[in-house]
Amino acid sequence: MKIMNCPLNGPRNISEFVYGGQVKTMPDHRLSSDSAWAEYVFYEKTEIGLVLEWWLHSPSSYWFIAERHNGSDEITRTFAPEAIFCDRVDFKTSEVPV
Amino acid sequence: MTRLKNDCFGQWIDTTQPKKFTFEGNVIEGFDGDSVASALLAHQVWVQSRSFKYHRPRGPLTLSGQDANTLVQSPKTPNLLADRVPVEEGLQLSGQNYSGWLGFDLSRTLDWFGRFLPVGFYYKAFFKPRGMWALWEPIVRRAAGLGISNLSVKADYTDKAYLFCDVAVIGGGPAGLHAALKVADGGADVLLVEQDPSLGGSLNYHAFSSDLKETQRQRDALIRNVFEHPNIKVLQSATCNAWFGDHYLPVLQGHRLFKVRAKQTLLATGSSEQHAIFRNNDLPGVVMCSAIDRLSRLYGVIPERPLAVLAGNDLAYSTAFSSHDAGATVVAIIDLRAQCDDQTLRAEAEARGIQVYAQCVVYEARSEWGAHRLSRVDVHGLHHDSGVGQKVASIDCGVLAMSVGYMPAYQLACQAGALLQYDDANAQFSIGNLPKGMHIAGSINSVFTLSALECDARNAARAALRALDIAVAERDEAVDCRASVNHPWPFVKHPKGREFVDFDEDLQIKDIVNATRMGYRDIQLVKRFSTVGMGPSQGRHSALPTARLVAKATNRSVTQTGVTTARPPLTPEPLGLLAGRRFHPLRRTALHHRHLALNGQMIPAGSWQRPAYYGQPADRRSAIDAEVTAVRTGVGLIDVSTLGGIDLRGPDAPEFMNRLYTFGFVKQPVGKTRYAVMTNEQGVVSDDGVAARLSEHHYYVTATTTGVDQVYRDMLKWNAQWRLDLDIANVTSALSAVNLAGPLSREVLRQAECDLDLSPEQFPYLAYREATIGGIPTRLMRVGFVGELGYELHVPSPLVGELWDRLMTAGHAHSIRPFGVEAQRLLRLEKGHIIVGQDTDGMTHPNEVALRWAIAQHKPFYVGGRSVEILSSRPLERQLVGFELTDVSTQPMEGHLVIREGEIVGSVTSCEFSPTLQKIIGLAYVHPEDAAAGSQIVIRIESGVCAQARVVKTPFYDPDNARQSL
Amino acid sequence: MPLGLLKYGINSDYPFDKEADLPPPADLKAQYDVVIIGGGGHGVATAYYLAKYHGITNVAVLEKGYLGGGNTARNTAVIRSNYLTPEGVKFYSASVNLFENLSNEFDFNIMYSQRGQLTLAHTDATVRSFRQRAEVNKHYGGRTELISPSDIAKLVPTLNLNPANLPVLAGLWHRDGATARHDAVAWGYARGATQRGVELHQLTEVTDVLTHGGRVTGVQTNRGVVNAGVVVQAVAGHSALLAQKAGFNLPLVAYPLQAMVTLPVKPFLTPLVSSSALHCYVQQTSRGEIVFGGGSDPYPLYNSRSSLPLKESLIASAVEMFPFLSEMRLLRQWAGITDMTSDYSPIMGLTPLENYYIDAGWGTWGFKATPICGKTMAELVASGGKVPELIQPFELDRFSRFKQVNEMGATAASH
Repeated sequence: MKIMNCPLNGPRNISEFVYGGQVKTMPDHRLSSDSAWAEYVFYEKTEIGLVLEWWLHSPSSYWFIAERHNGSDEITRTFAPEAIFCDRVDFKTSEVPV
Repeated sequence: MTRLKNDCFGQWIDTTQPKKFTFEGNVIEGFDGDSVASALLAHQVWVQSRSFKYHRPRGPLTLSGQDANTLVQSPKTPNLLADRVPVEEGLQLSGQNYSGWLGFDLSRTLDWFGRFLPVGFYYKAFFKPRGMWALWEPIVRRAAGLGISNLSVKADYTDKAYLFCDVAVIGGGPAGLHAALKVADGGADVLLVEQDPSLGGSLNYHAFSSDLKETQRQRDALIRNVFEHPNIKVLQSATCNAWFGDHYLPVLQGHRLFKVRAKQTLLATGSSEQHAIFRNNDLPGVVMCSAIDRLSRLYGVIPERPLAVLAGNDLAYSTAFSSHDAGATVVAIIDLRAQCDDQTLRAEAEARGIQVYAQCVVYEARSEWGAHRLSRVDVHGLHHDSGVGQKVASIDCGVLAMSVGYMPAYQLACQAGALLQYDDANAQFSIGNLPKGMHIAGSINSVFTLSALECDARNAARAALRALDIAVAERDEAVDCRASVNHPWPFVKHPKGREFVDFDEDLQIKDIVNATRMGYRDIQLVKRFSTVGMGPSQGRHSALPTARLVAKATNRSVTQTGVTTARPPLTPEPLGLLAGRRFHPLRRTALHHRHLALNGQMIPAGSWQRPAYYGQPADRRSAIDAEVTAVRTGVGLIDVSTLGGIDLRGPDAPEFMNRLYTFGFVKQPVGKTRYAVMTNEQGVVSDDGVAARLSEHHYYVTATTTGVDQVYRDMLKWNAQWRLDLDIANVTSALSAVNLAGPLSREVLRQAECDLDLSPEQFPYLAYREATIGGIPTRLMRVGFVGELGYELHVPSPLVGELWDRLMTAGHAHSIRPFGVEAQRLLRLEKGHIIVGQDTDGMTHPNEVALRWAIAQHKPFYVGGRSVEILSSRPLERQLVGFELTDVSTQPMEGHLVIREGEIVGSVTSCEFSPTLQKIIGLAYVHPEDAAAGSQIVIRIESGVCAQARVVKTPFYDPDNARQSL
Repeated sequence: MPLGLLKYGINSDYPFDKEADLPPPADLKAQYDVVIIGGGGHGVATAYYLAKYHGITNVAVLEKGYLGGGNTARNTAVIRSNYLTPEGVKFYSASVNLFENLSNEFDFNIMYSQRGQLTLAHTDATVRSFRQRAEVNKHYGGRTELISPSDIAKLVPTLNLNPANLPVLAGLWHRDGATARHDAVAWGYARGATQRGVELHQLTEVTDVLTHGGRVTGVQTNRGVVNAGVVVQAVAGHSALLAQKAGFNLPLVAYPLQAMVTLPVKPFLTPLVSSSALHCYVQQTSRGEIVFGGGSDPYPLYNSRSSLPLKESLIASAVEMFPFLSEMRLLRQWAGITDMTSDYSPIMGLTPLENYYIDAGWGTWGFKATPICGKTMAELVASGGKVPELIQPFELDRFSRFKQVNEMGATAASH
């Protein structure tokens, strides 16, 4: 079984991890069309090659990102989410706080 | 018969330790160290099994577990290989797959009808007219199968262990030993895995030179060095059965499955000697040269009857000579070739009085009528183009040892992605395209001479060391191996057939060729249509001849034709070893033993155990109803510790709540609770709970028992992207909780010494408070799930037992009653509350279950919000409503369908007889046009009977919700 | 002795060439009326129904590997229709009906064996869901019922009714459940199609889809360009990749699905037995081997490699269900690549590219649908793009309209 190099815990058997889906960018949920939104919800990037994915180290509940080749199963690098998600994400506030 | 026992012969047996076992009811005496097969051969018992299709008698072929001709069974276990089962005192074995007994199998008649059963015959017959196959199939099924499974066997003890090493060297023969030493000397840790009971491999049985003692001395020195080396760990009688990603290797040894993690894998697993294909090459007595070598050198058995050798290479001559020198009567060497590579061999044969038939072939092997044993071979001349000529001799012999080629043990390498390449010049497959970190050495790498394979082994070791970033100063050595060991076409087609390509599946030359003529040309289609290579030996001997035959039949090169995919496991592996000891962890709440003491009937809830009700199973219904009544009229207590609990703390906790749940939480007052519903990104209701605001920046939110782990994970994942300032803690196990419910609950709580003003003005419905109960720090919430005055009390888990006892004591005077999951389900149903996962399915969105009110329309964002909006803009296709029936004889059950104009429009999700209301109530999905109160719906219940039900508004009980607000 | 076999024995040189099942390799023409990409069960079934029932024979099936070499070769041959949704049940029931007579339909023995399929329920929630499935099945004429543990004990006396501390509460007994020789289904359809003039081209890989003005014009292959009036894609695991070449996306994720088999033993198990909670199903083939299958791999991969942890947990579950299996020996494990949809229902019908039709999203539920798939896709082609009612719910558009057909509960560990 493959070894996954967790950025927090080091190399562990991949059975300790949970796959969390491709890293996707959410479109503007207010401005995008219905079909663009459906595409975000249901579709993923399709290719055989290096893909950025969310992975969770289950025992320590740590989420990170792995770059993995989805044909050869080679994991080329892993890193903390902060490397991509560096800034706080805010959604446009409405007029009245609820 | 007497065994030859000296330094070089009978090496594995201990003649001072005889062991008796029975085979087919006959007592056989063997020795400690014998395999069952070798002991049987010592007693001239050559017939050890019957073949799969034609039930032909079979005997050992490789004597090393590489073939499946020795499949026997014990009372407990089917499909054992007799040449790998060590002899034990009292062992009871029998043959398999016969009607009658091993010596006389009535099913042999299938062999005589063979001409009517060509390859793939079962696809062309047995199904006309319609329905015929249903009659034939049971007969075919009974004829199939090899051993008989013992249905009452109890599993033996097995376990698993982990091992780690730098380099796993698989194979303890000469190449493996040299490689292991070289790697270990370089400073890396080696795990050496050897399938046989001792190290040595071919050094143990093959006559590399005529000075057997010298070879043994070298071997003993190697083995001693290996055992004494601090960097080498040795596993014997251990089989590496597969290669999995990142060098994860399962090694089977006895009762243990080792899971080995290596950094590099070095395969020194050798190669499989291949058979010649001529008529009746499956007769007991026709064996590989290495089998005869093993038989004499390891087990001290020298054939009593005359021995002939069929040679396709020089190596066969070593077998002829060493057998002769050990006392066997070697009557002939039939050499497919005109010349030997080593010109001196023919003279050596002559010097020993062994006649050599050059450029000849065995045309047919024969037995005496009624005896299932080789008795003579017919030898014919061979033309240059491999065409068969006239008969030149008929040789009486009891054993024919053949060596016409080798196939590298490619399986582990090819499992890892290596590829096989066929060299037409020397008619051999070789392994290329090795994956990173894998090395091969020895005959697996087509290196066959001792001096050459030592260099090859050291080269592989160096490569492994370099790959480990260990500096290796020396350069690689040249590997000089000119041995040509493969004959390109060891086939002799016979008009009457039975020249077996695949012994496991009883497939002869014409079967393979005819498969291609039927249009199944790809090697994979040949395999699937003819079943070649699908038997227990998985193509070890059939892959090479099949590739050659199919290449010729389809006019392609052997490389293009290829062999079928190598898949784990390498050898058949016991399921018990894979299953291991099997743990079934259960999660119990801190109140578990109190439930048992009260006769709680425990059921699984996710991975937890919860009491369904309290009482005897025979009184289930009345127990549940009594619990419901107690809550409605008095006071009840339920353990809700399994409910998920998550603490959200930090300045962004309110914003985070807003984004994860559909409702609004930023303006939720401190000290208040709110219903928290979660949707997933598709807009589907995924979980619900209650959120309490403990302070401006602190929320405590509950979740369903089976959903909390996913909720927690999702929360962490979202915040990894949003980077809001808060901490998210899953405190499900840290806190335990009970729900005290019923009109008398306030009084009981007071008497339990709760230091809070419990008046309705100070602690109103839906409020959250913190207090102590008899000194126990408690989070208190007034929630409405069961529809009565009640308090959900969350305390640190170590203290919940004390809390339970305190409440039960305080409630004793009020006839407090513990209630379980079933009563709770009924109570909440009476209030029309949904259970996520029961009343919702994988597609339910908030509008379908009247949860529009729980959506804060104007907040900036929540997970699933946009999708919910899209779903809301479409007309509803179904709606969850409450219904009731007064006719109790037709109670629907959950899962029954709602039918409208003959079509399915929905289904019942919850349904019970309410003791409080004395009628049947339930929730169901119905057609939107029937969703209004007063509508009639039809529910199809058991046996197609249709029940009429009436849609009603919920709650069924206490519609004004007065009782929970007391 | 079946009379049909006599001809083999009487004539010592039986003319296998003339009576071949499949034609030898041939040249690729420049143009066909219909090109079917994918020579698995679905592809050749579509070609068969086109040729036999619609008289459309100027058809080429293009297969990049060998006939049926994808998931048709790797599945565990479970045939059933005990699904949850009305759309699913109608669809799979039609397939079961076609399977019942398939050997005689195309004159090739697929060794169809209606043994019944039993799914075990270990929790209340599962019992509820099973009851609903039984009702939906019965509504459409299927023979499915919820049975008690004592009934289960009579059906499968060798089953452990308390595996892994999860006592069996009930069973979904589907009498229509069956198994067949999965390769033979592809061979039978291919034989029937090619004998009627359809061309089967193996080792022929489509590398691009050619379009003009929003309509497909043909395909680029490793053996040249082939023009076509209509193109059908039926390539299972690689569906999304191929669709991209045709200019549109599919909401699919490719997961390996593993299975394994033991050495054969004499028959002891008749029905196919599946446990939802243990994620394991067990069946015994006509050869006597025990086949095991379970849930999909835990993460996506375009690769059919096998793994150890899945094997361990699957076999542990199997041994819980049938403890005596501990003495049996595993012979082989393998995997296929499954194209999974989020609602566990297939994608069939039209695509944004005109005259380009799709048969995809077959995940772990494709083999059982082979006949009905071939039949409906052939109808779609023959009618010039009119989607048969039976497959309308499975349109690609359903995702953008948030109108999924949710079969998740009826799929996991049953296949």
